[in-house]
Amino acid sequence: MSPTTISAPVHELRLAELGPAEQGTRHDEVVVALSPAFGEFFTRTIVDVPHGSVLRELFAGVEEEGASLRVIRVTHSADLAIVAFTGAKLSGSGIGVGVLSRGTTVIHQRDLPRLSNLELFPQAPLLDLETFRAIGRNAARYAKGETPQPVPVRNDFMARPRWQAKAALLHNKEMEFVRSGKPVQLEVTIGR
Amino acid sequence: MSDQTSTVTAADYPLSSRRPELLRTPSGKTLDEITLEAVLDKRVTAEDLRITPDTLELQAQIAEQTERPQMAANLRRAGELTRVPDERLLEIYAALRPGASTKPQLLSIAQELEGQYDAPVNAALVREAADVYERRDCLAADD
Amino acid sequence: MTALRAPDPQTKTSKRTAALEARPVNLDGFVDEWPEVGLVAMDSPNDPQPSIRIEDGRVVEMDGRTREQFDFLDQFIADTAIDASSAERSMAIDAVEIAHMLVDPRTPRETVLRTVRGLTPAKILAVMKTMNVVEMMMAMQKMRARRTPSNQAHCTSARDNPLQVAADAAEGALRGFDEVETTLGIVRYAPLVALGLQVGAQVGRGGVLTQCALEEATELRLGLRGLTTYAETISIYGTERVFMDGDDTPWSKAFLASAYASRGIKMRFTSGTGSEVQMGSAEGKSMLYLEIRCILTAKGAGVQGLQNGSISCIGVPGAVPAGIRAVLAENLVASMVDLEVASGNDQTFSHSDMRRTARLLMQFLPGTDLICSGYSACPNYDNMFAGSNVDCEDYDDWNTIQRDLQVDGGLRHVDEREILAVRDKAARAMQAVFEQFGLPAISDAEVEAVTYAHGSNDLPPRDVLEDLKGAQMIMDEGITGLDVVRALEAGGFRDVAESLLALLRQRVGGDLLHTAAIVGRDGEAVSAVNAPNDYAGPGSGYRPEGARWEEMKRLRHTVSPSNPEA
Repeated sequence: MSPTTISAPVHELRLAELGPAEQGTRHDEVVVALSPAFGEFFTRTIVDVPHGSVLRELFAGVEEEGASLRVIRVTHSADLAIVAFTGAKLSGSGIGVGVLSRGTTVIHQRDLPRLSNLELFPQAPLLDLETFRAIGRNAARYAKGETPQPVPVRNDFMARPRWQAKAALLHNKEMEFVRSGKPVQLEVTIGR
Repeated sequence: MSDQTSTVTAADYPLSSRRPELLRTPSGKTLDEITLEAVLDKRVTAEDLRITPDTLELQAQIAEQTERPQMAANLRRAGELTRVPDERLLEIYAALRPGASTKPQLLSIAQELEGQYDAPVNAALVREAADVYERRDCLAADD
Repeated sequence: MTALRAPDPQTKTSKRTAALEARPVNLDGFVDEWPEVGLVAMDSPNDPQPSIRIEDGRVVEMDGRTREQFDFLDQFIADTAIDASSAERSMAIDAVEIAHMLVDPRTPRETVLRTVRGLTPAKILAVMKTMNVVEMMMAMQKMRARRTPSNQAHCTSARDNPLQVAADAAEGALRGFDEVETTLGIVRYAPLVALGLQVGAQVGRGGVLTQCALEEATELRLGLRGLTTYAETISIYGTERVFMDGDDTPWSKAFLASAYASRGIKMRFTSGTGSEVQMGSAEGKSMLYLEIRCILTAKGAGVQGLQNGSISCIGVPGAVPAGIRAVLAENLVASMVDLEVASGNDQTFSHSDMRRTARLLMQFLPGTDLICSGYSACPNYDNMFAGSNVDCEDYDDWNTIQRDLQVDGGLRHVDEREILAVRDKAARAMQAVFEQFGLPAISDAEVEAVTYAHGSNDLPPRDVLEDLKGAQMIMDEGITGLDVVRALEAGGFRDVAESLLALLRQRVGGDLLHTAAIVGRDGEAVSAVNAPNDYAGPGSGYRPEGARWEEMKRLRHTVSPSNPEA
C-alpha cells in the first residue's frame, strides 16, 4: 500500500561531452548508454533516485566484476531498446546497458534483435540502488562471457495506478530532447 | 468463391443446430460423425475439425443479412485461406509486418495466393498493402 | 508540546489533511493535461475537424485530409470502415442530434447503426463530446450487441502453475464466466498453462471459451492446435508510428483476422486509450480520437469484436480529467459500430475501492458483451496481466452489487462444496492428462493443495525445468486439442472429454465467428445474430428475472425468515 519512495544520498553528477563515441575494442567492455535528457534536464528517476546515485551503483557493480566501462549518450532516440542497442553495438564486448531518465533500464546484446534483450527492468518505480548495482554486476558478467542468474525483479500490481501516467508524461518530456546526431562519449564525475 | 447453391438466412443460425445437414468437415464428414468414439478410433483427426470454404460462405451470407458487410468480406477471405497450410499462413502474416518485405516480395506472395491457392481476394489485399507500404515507407530496404 | 509557538503556515498541516493524505486515493497518480503531446482524454486542439468528400463512390477527403495526405490508418478506415454511400447524409446530421438518437430508447439500435456507419473518426468524437456518462450508459444499454451481458476471467499464476490455472478456471466457469484467459511469466510454459486453462474451464462448465495471451504468431499457433478456443491479444494502435512499433499494420492485422476465421476460431482485436501517448507518439491528438481510429480499423478488418477500455494503459486516462468518461466513450463507440465489446475493467486502476467501483459501474450498470476482460479469478498477486480492477477477493462484493441493483454482471454465488468439487475434479483431470502425455507427475498432495488454495503461495512448488521440458514436448510432438480429448477419456474423464470435443466441433460450423458469440448452457452458440439486443426503453430488453434472478438473490450470508437461527 505504501508508495515506493527511495531516500538516497545525493551524488552530484557532472557529464562532460568528449566527442563522438567510437567503436569499443576491449573485449570485457560494458557500455552504459544514457537517454537524451539523463543527468541534464532530468536529475532524478521517477521515484526520485538521483541520477548520480544510479550511475554510481551501476559503475560499482561493473567494477566489482572487474570489467571495463564506458559511458555514452544517445541523442537520436528516447526509446529504451534503441538507446540500449546503440550502446551494445558500440561496446567492445557487445554488451550495453540502456538507462532512461525515469530509470527504466535494459541489458542488451548486439547480436540480439533490437526488440529483444538479455534482461529488461520495465518498472522504473521498483528499481532501487541495490537493483542498479546488481544490473551493473550482471552486465559485467555477460561482458566476460558468463551467464549470470537474472537480477530478481520485484512485481507490484499497484505500480500502474500510481506511476503509469507520470511515466507517460516523463517519456514525452524526454522526447523533446531528441535530436539527430551520433552518440557522444561522456566523461562522468560523481561527487560525494 | 464457392460454387455451391444453398443459401441461408439469419433464421438458420446457429447452423450447427438448425442446419447441420449443410455442414461438412474438409473430408466430407457430418457433425454427427464427430463423436468421441470416432475420435478415440482416430477416424476423426485434427484435420476434420476445420471449417470449409462452403461453410464460411454460408456464414458470410448470414453476416450480410445482419448488415455486417465487413465481416462477410473477412469470412470470404477466410474461405480462401482454408487452402493455405498453417505454416505458410504464419509466414505470409510475418511477411506483411512492417519492414519485413520488399515490394517485389509482397507482389510475389500475391501471385502465389492467386495462382497456387485460388485466393484472389487475399491477393488483392496483399497488393494493396504493397502499394500503401510503398507510399508510407513500411517496406523493407531493397537488398 | 512544550512551548507555545505560532504555527508555521508554510509547513503545519491540519489533522484533517493528515487523514485525507492517508486515504488510498492519494496513492494514485494524477497528472495535468498536456494536449501538445496528446496527454488529454477527449479534447485536444490538434484533433481534426469532421469533414467528408466522396467522389465516384470513394472517400477522397476525410477529417480535413485528402487521399494523398492519408496515413495508413486514414486510408484503411476510409476504404473499409466508412459506408461511402451514406456518409454525406450521416455527416450532415448535427452531432447533438446523433447523440440524441443514441440516448433516446425509441430510436431503434438498427437506425443508429445505419447512421453511424457513415461517420468519420472526428465526427464520432464530436458526438461523444456532447454526452455525459449517464447518457453514454443509456446509449450503451441499447447499443450492446448481444441481448445478455456476460463476463470474462483471467486465470494466471505467479509461478505459471498449470494446476492452479486449471482449478481457478473450473471455479470461474462454475461462477459464471463465459470466457477465461491466461498469460505467462515464463512464455515457454504456455502449452502447459493453456492446457490447464482448457481442461479446468470444461470441468467448470462445458462450452466456456479459453485463450492464451501471447505474441501474435505464437497465439495463432496455439489456436491452430486446438489448445485454445478464441483469441484476443491482437493489438492495434491509433497512430502509424505506434502501429509500426507494435510490428503490424492494418493490412497484416486484417490478414491475421482472416487467418483465424479460416480455421473457425473466434477472435477479437484489442486497443485502448492512452497507448499512443504512453509510447510518445500520439501526434498531439486526444486519446479518444486515436482510439476511435482503432475501433474503425477493427470494424474495417471485419473482426466480430474488440477488447477496449484502455486495457493495460488505464493508468494514463485514469490520471487526466474526464479520462474515465473517455474510457466509457470508447466502449460505447465500439458498440455503435456493431462490434462485440469486451470492456476492460481488467487492470489495476486505483488504490481506492470507491474509485475502482465507480469506474466499474460505467460498464456494469448498462451491461456490455463482456463487462470485464477480464476479472481476476486468481488473487491479484498471481495476476500475470499485472493485476485486474477486480479479483477473486471481490466475488462477494460483485454478487452483492448485482443483488442490490438487480443488474446482471454475469456471476453468481456458489456454495463452497460445489466449488471444492470442481477444483478437485479439474486438478485430478490435469493429473490424468499429465500422466497420459508423460508429463512431470502431479502428486495427490498437489491436487489437495490446489483444491483448498487461494493462490500460488499456498501451493507446493513444481520442478519448473522439468515442466518446461514437458511444455517443449507438447510443441515438438504436435499435441492437439483432440489429443487432449483422448487423454481425458483414457484418464477416466469421459464427460470432460465430451465437453472439450463439443467445443472443438464448433469450429466446423463457424457459428462462433459471429458478433459477440459465446456458448450457452445448452451448448449452442448465443450471439448478436440469434440473441440481438432488443432494448427499447423501460419494460423492454434483457432484465434478470425468473431462475436467473433467483440465482442472483443468493449470497454467502442471508437470514432466512423460515429459519432465522440457521
